[in-house]
Amino acid sequence: MSSKLERLWGTSPLKSHYDVVLIGGGIHGLATAYYLAKEHGIKDVAVLERRYIGYGGSGRNTAIVRANQRTQENVRLYDEGLRLWPKLIDELDFNMMFFNCGNLNLAHSEAAVSGFRLAVSTANFCNVKSELLDPQQCKEMVPALDISDRPYHPIYGGMYHEPGGILRHDAVVWGLAKGAFKRGAHIHQGVEVLGIDTDGQKITGVQTNQGSVSCNRLAVMAGGYGASVCEMVGMELPVHPLTIQAMVTQPLKPFLHHVVSSGAYHCYANQTLKGEVATGAHMDPQVNYSTTPTAWYMKHQAESLTDFLPCLKGVKFMRIWAGLADMTPDMAPIMDGNVMYDGLFIDVGWGYFGFKSGPITGKYMARFIADDEAPDILKPFALNRFLENRYMGETAGATNYGHWN
Amino acid sequence: MSFTITCPVCGERDVYEFHFGGRERGPPPSHDNLAIEEYLRYAQFRTTRTEAQLEWWFHANGCGSWFTTWRNPANNREEKPREMSNE
Repeated sequence: MSSKLERLWGTSPLKSHYDVVLIGGGIHGLATAYYLAKEHGIKDVAVLERRYIGYGGSGRNTAIVRANQRTQENVRLYDEGLRLWPKLIDELDFNMMFFNCGNLNLAHSEAAVSGFRLAVSTANFCNVKSELLDPQQCKEMVPALDISDRPYHPIYGGMYHEPGGILRHDAVVWGLAKGAFKRGAHIHQGVEVLGIDTDGQKITGVQTNQGSVSCNRLAVMAGGYGASVCEMVGMELPVHPLTIQAMVTQPLKPFLHHVVSSGAYHCYANQTLKGEVATGAHMDPQVNYSTTPTAWYMKHQAESLTDFLPCLKGVKFMRIWAGLADMTPDMAPIMDGNVMYDGLFIDVGWGYFGFKSGPITGKYMARFIADDEAPDILKPFALNRFLENRYMGETAGATNYGHWN
Repeated sequence: MSFTITCPVCGERDVYEFHFGGRERGPPPSHDNLAIEEYLRYAQFRTTRTEAQLEWWFHANGCGSWFTTWRNPANNREEKPREMSNE
């Protein structure tokens, strides 16, 4: 092992042509570049990032991973993604601080408990560990929970998913960048795609702020900005970007040993390995591209969090920030290829669940791009499901979360 | 982000008083010989531009008016699109 400090990834000259261009330097783009090189020998790849890698959603999420979604199609993808983390950490030889602490989801009504029953059944059917808990069992998991009748939304029970947990999101970005660069991919920061070039039915390249770059295949993996990039070729998508906020408290001694989330309070919380309680969930109800938090939400979050975790009263919020959640009508992403144009691949609509799926999406999108055919696991996520009235059903029920569904 | 929306009845109010009604997209397609894909495309597909767009807003915690206004989702300012600003 060299004793000289080496950079994790380096700069490369921006070529005028690449085999594959990936728009977006977050974990989806970087993971796709990594797997293209690793599993398909495709190394002539450029990741074009407008700011710096991880600047978007990849650096702003609260790094929760789980595989307890509502539908079989989603559970299968996320489950494979969840089991991938230890392997990826080994392969990339980079500590991503995977803390397998388990996820506890709280139910605050009989209807919510019924919803959990369905979700637990789906998970178990797909061989994923998930179980229903009563309020007392929830309290044993998280002693700080108030399971009395005092809270505004009393706890009726919970759904516990043992395989889930949290990671260090920045470390995932850096580890994937290291892996992709080491295998020959070019990572270009500060390169903004301003237009997409086509020739008849084929994608031919992109126009950037540093000149034209031609390519054989182009993938849009720009997170919350993905739909507006697709609009460069006139593609409309059922995708709505909403600002989502998150914050962390001052560091505290370990007291929260699992991720806790509550639909009724619209709130989730986990204690990172640094001791800070990372928490969030509010989404601006109107579409916009701003990443600015609001005082209204800081107050709302403090009230919600201290209602079911009263020990947090008086604890200070240290940092608050925001990012984009691009929502689809069925709360499931759109992964498709040769959409509208040959050679155009899209990976959009990840809402607030794009982090947990980063590496596994990279693996399968790489396969899609390499083989020019949708892998079976990605077929249900095709764009035309919206035109065939085949929603994925990831919403908890017939609830109306917002104007997008 | 916090910003204001101008209600035609109440004037400039905090955005939290309103519900967003979506981008103005014109009337729904006529039902005569309507292909299901065309209807679903109208109902679900729309792109949020990084430039001013005409939108519907509902003053839910105020007078209850439904109205349209131009807003730029990139900076949340009520501004007209560049082509119209000279009118």
